[in-house]
Amino acid sequence: MTKFFNKRAPYLFVSPAILLLLMFSIIPILIAFVISFTDMSLNGLADFSLIKFVGVANYVKVFQDPIFVKALGNTVFYVIIGVPLVIVCSLGLALLINFGQNKVFSFFRLVFYSPSITNVVAVAVVWAYLYNPQFGLFNYLLKLIGLQPVPWLQDPIVAKISLILLALWRAIGVNMIIFLAALQGIPKAYYEAAELDGANARQRLFHITIPMLKFATFFVSVTTLIGWIQFFEEPFVMTQGGPLDSTTSLALFIYRNGFQLSKFGYAAAGSFVLFVIIILVTLLQFRIQRKQEETEL
Amino acid sequence: MKKSVLLSLVSVAVLGILLSGCGKKASSSGSESKTLNVWAMGDEAKVMPTMAKAFTKETGIKVKVQALPWSNAHDKLLTAVASKGGPDVVQLGTTWMPEFQKAGALEDMSAYTDKYNNLKSENFLPGAVRTTKYDGKFYGTPWVSETRVLFYRTDTLKSVGYDQAPQTWNELKDAAKKLSARGKDKYGITIDMKEQSLGFMFARQNGSKLITNDFKDPQFNKAPFTEAVSYLSEFIQKGYAPKADLGMDVSQTFTGDDPIVPMFISGPWMITAVKDTAKGIDGKWAVAELPKGSKNNISSLGGSDLTIWKYGKNKNNAAKFIDFMSTKKNQLKFMKLSNDLPALKSAWKDDSLAKDPYLSVVGKQIKTAMPMPETPKFEELAQSYLKHFESIAVGNADVKTEMNTFNDEAKTTLQSN
Amino acid sequence: MKEKTVGQKWIVGVILAILGLIFILPLVWMILSSFKTESELFTIPPTVFPKHFTWDNFNKLFTSFNFAQYLKNTLIIVLFSFFGMFLNAMAAYGFAKFKFKGKNFLFFIVLATMMIPGQVTMIPVYLIMNSLGLTNTMAGIILPGLVGAFGIFLFRQFISTISTEILEAARLDGASEWFIFWHIVIPICKPILAVQGILTFIAGWNSFLWPLIMANDDKYYTLSVGLSLLKGQYASNYALQMAGSTFMVVPIIIIFMMFQKYILQGFNVSGMK
Repeated sequence: MTKFFNKRAPYLFVSPAILLLLMFSIIPILIAFVISFTDMSLNGLADFSLIKFVGVANYVKVFQDPIFVKALGNTVFYVIIGVPLVIVCSLGLALLINFGQNKVFSFFRLVFYSPSITNVVAVAVVWAYLYNPQFGLFNYLLKLIGLQPVPWLQDPIVAKISLILLALWRAIGVNMIIFLAALQGIPKAYYEAAELDGANARQRLFHITIPMLKFATFFVSVTTLIGWIQFFEEPFVMTQGGPLDSTTSLALFIYRNGFQLSKFGYAAAGSFVLFVIIILVTLLQFRIQRKQEETEL
Repeated sequence: MKKSVLLSLVSVAVLGILLSGCGKKASSSGSESKTLNVWAMGDEAKVMPTMAKAFTKETGIKVKVQALPWSNAHDKLLTAVASKGGPDVVQLGTTWMPEFQKAGALEDMSAYTDKYNNLKSENFLPGAVRTTKYDGKFYGTPWVSETRVLFYRTDTLKSVGYDQAPQTWNELKDAAKKLSARGKDKYGITIDMKEQSLGFMFARQNGSKLITNDFKDPQFNKAPFTEAVSYLSEFIQKGYAPKADLGMDVSQTFTGDDPIVPMFISGPWMITAVKDTAKGIDGKWAVAELPKGSKNNISSLGGSDLTIWKYGKNKNNAAKFIDFMSTKKNQLKFMKLSNDLPALKSAWKDDSLAKDPYLSVVGKQIKTAMPMPETPKFEELAQSYLKHFESIAVGNADVKTEMNTFNDEAKTTLQSN
Repeated sequence: MKEKTVGQKWIVGVILAILGLIFILPLVWMILSSFKTESELFTIPPTVFPKHFTWDNFNKLFTSFNFAQYLKNTLIIVLFSFFGMFLNAMAAYGFAKFKFKGKNFLFFIVLATMMIPGQVTMIPVYLIMNSLGLTNTMAGIILPGLVGAFGIFLFRQFISTISTEILEAARLDGASEWFIFWHIVIPICKPILAVQGILTFIAGWNSFLWPLIMANDDKYYTLSVGLSLLKGQYASNYALQMAGSTFMVVPIIIIFMMFQKYILQGFNVSGMK
C-alpha cells in the first residue's frame, strides 16, 4: 500500500496546479494556435461561421512586414544588453544589501524594491521629466559639467538604451529579493571553513557565493529572458515605439497590429513566432545548465 | 500515506465547494430579466446612475448601470461579442461604431424611430448622425459630442500683430512663425504628432475627400492631402512647433506673460482644464473657430453614441431609455452633471451653451464638424499615417514618396477584409 | 565574516543611499503628488513637496466609488491567491524532488504558459468560462490566476537545493509525503515563501483585468477596476490617479515590511546537491 502511494505521490502534488493550468492556460494556448491559421477578426468573433482557414498566410505576412523585422531587431538589442545587466545588477545589489543586517539595510530592501510597486503613470511622468531633451534633469546636469545635451528619447539608438535603463531600474527589485532569499540558503559553515583556509573576500565570492546561487541565478536568467523577449510596457508608455519604430518591440508590434485592430488571427501568428523564439532560447538555457552540472560532477 | 492523499483531495474539494458556492450566489442574483442593463464608460458612467434613477421614476423600469474604464472597455466589448451576451444598452465611442456595427453587434434602430420621437436623426448634429448611419440605417443615437477648436492667448497674439485669431491657414502659419521668433524655446503652436485626426482634418479643409464613398480607394497621394501634410510638417521642420513633446501641460506652456506655446488645437475638455489649472491668465485667452483652409474650416467630431446591443433581451425598453436620454431637458441635465457636451441640436440653443463665451464658439464649430471616415479600418490607417508623418516632419523624408507608400498601404488595408 | 569593519559598512551604506535615492524618488513623488493640485503635477522642474497641500484628491477618491464592496472583493481574491501559492509550492515539490514519467516534459509545458502574451488567450479563456457558466461569478474571477508558472518555477528552484538526504531520512522514519512537505520542505522554504508571499499579495491586490472581464455587475469589481474608472475619454485626472495609487501602495509597503524579515530566516540545513 505504502509503495503504491509513494509512486502516486508526485502526481498528487502536481495535479491540482497542472489541472488549473491545463484549463486556463494550455487549452487556451492551443485554441489560440488554431486561431493563428485563420483570418479571425471581430466579425469572425461575432459569427464563427465567417472564420476562414488561411493556412500559414498569417505567418508569411508577419515575416514580410518590415516593422515586424525591425521590431525583431530591436528586441534582440533589448535582450542582449538588458538581460545580463539585470542579472549582474540585481545580484550585486543583493550582495551589497546582504552586507549589513541592521535596520538601515532592511530599509534599503524596500527602497530598491519600490520601483516595482510604483504606479506606471507616476514612473512615466518622472522619467519623462528626467529624459526631457530641453528641460530635463539629465541634460541639465550634463550642461552643468559642460557637456552636450543627449537626445534621450529622440535618437533611435539612444532611445533604446534609455528604455533599457528604465526597464533595468524597474526589474532589479524582484530579482534582488530572490537573490537575497537564496543567499540565506548558503550554510555559514562554508564561509567559516574558507576563512580558516585563508581565502580572501574575492575568492569566497567566486568560489562559494556565486556557485551556491546557481539555482537562483538560473531562475532569474530564465524568467528575465522570457520577460525581456516580451518587452512591452516601457516603449508602450514612454515612446509608443517611436521615433520611427526604433523602439518598437515584438510584443508592442503584436499588441498594436493585433489587439488594437482586432486582427486576432494575425496577432496570434505573431505571438506564436514570439513563443517559438522564447522556447528555443529557454531550451538552450536548460541544455547549458545540464552541461554545467555534468562537468561539475 | 493515506493522509497525504486525503489531505490533497480535501483541499481541492474545499476549493471547489468554496468557489462553486461563490458561483451559485452570483448567478441567482444576476438574472432579473426586467432590469435594463446599461454599460457606460469612465466619467460618463459616474453620473449615469443619477439619470437612470429619473428614468426608473418615470417608467418603473429598473436600470443597472455598469461602469467600464475607457482603457479596457474594448476588451470587455470583445468578450461580450464572443459570448453573444452582454447588456441591453451600450455607450460606444464614435470611433468604435464602425467595427461593432460591421460585426453585427448593434441593433438597427430604424424600427424604433417611429415610436420614439426623440430618436429621429434630424434632431441631432449632422456630424454626429454620420457616426450612427450605415447603408441608410441607424445603429445608434448620438449622445455626447466634442469638436476641435483653436485655443490662443489674446495678448501674445496681439504682440505679434494679431488682434483676433488667425482666420486662414496662411495667417496661422504667419502667426506661428512670428510667435516662434520671440526667442529660444518659444513656439507658435503645438502640432501633436500622436493625434490621429489632425492630419485628416487639415486635409479635409484643403478639399481632400480622404477616401472614396465606397471606402475602397484612399486619396492620400492626391494634391489636397499631400499639400496639407506639407503644410503641417513645415510647422515642425521650421521650428514653429516643438519637434518633440515638451512634457508639460497647459499650466506651464500656456501661462505667464510670455507663454511657451500660445496656440494649440484641442477639444472642449481643455476649456475646463485651462480654467482650472492655468493660473493668472483670466481674460488673456480665448477660443476660436479653426482657420480656414483652401476649401473650408471643418473640424473633426468625436464623442459617444448610445446603442442597442444586438444580444440584449430588452430591446424595446432599451429604445425607451435612449429616447429618455435624448430629450433636451435630459441632455442639458447630463451636461451639467458630467461636463460633456450634448449631441442634440436644440440643446445647443440653450443659454448655458449659446451665451457662454467659450462654448458658443464650440457650438459654431460643431455645426459643420465631421467625424473621421466611418470605416473599421480607420484606426489602422491613422496609425500608419502618424508613422509616415513622423518620417516627413522629423526625418525630413520626401512628402510625395511617403504619401505614395502610405496610399498603397492604405489601399491594401481597405481592400482586404 | 567578523572582519567586516565599521568602515566597510559605511562605504557600502553610502553607495546604497545614493543609488537608493534614484530608486525611491518616483514613489516619493507619487505619494506627495497625491496631495497636489492637478496644475502643480506637471510643472517642470517637478516639485517634490506640494505647494498647496490638499486632501481634495482623497476626498474625491473615497466618495466616487463603492469603496467597501471593492475592498471586500479584492481581499477575497488576495485570500484565494495565497491558497494558490500553496498549490504552486506543492507542484514545485513534485517537480523538484520526485522522479516520474514525463516529468521534464510536463515541467516544460508549465513553463511554456509564461511564454505567450496574455492577450492571446484572453478570449479563449473567456469562452471556456462562459461554457462552464462561470462568467459573472467570483469563481470565474479567481480561477484563472490561481496558479502560475512563475511561482512553480521559483519554488522548484529553491526546493531543489534542499538536500535529498534529509527527505530520505524522514521517509525512513515513516513520515508521509504530506508530512514531509508540510513539516520539512515548507519551513526550509521560509525565505522564498516570503518572497512569493509578497509577489502573490501584490498580484492579488492589484488584480484588474479578470475581475473586469468576468463581471457583469459592479459588485464584483476590485479596487484597481474602481480606480481605472476615474479616467475620462479625453481628459485624465492625474492628481486623482496619484491619490488612488498612493492608497493602493500603502498596504503593499506594510506587507513588504512584514514579510521581508522572513527572507532572512531560512533554516540553514540545505547542502550541496
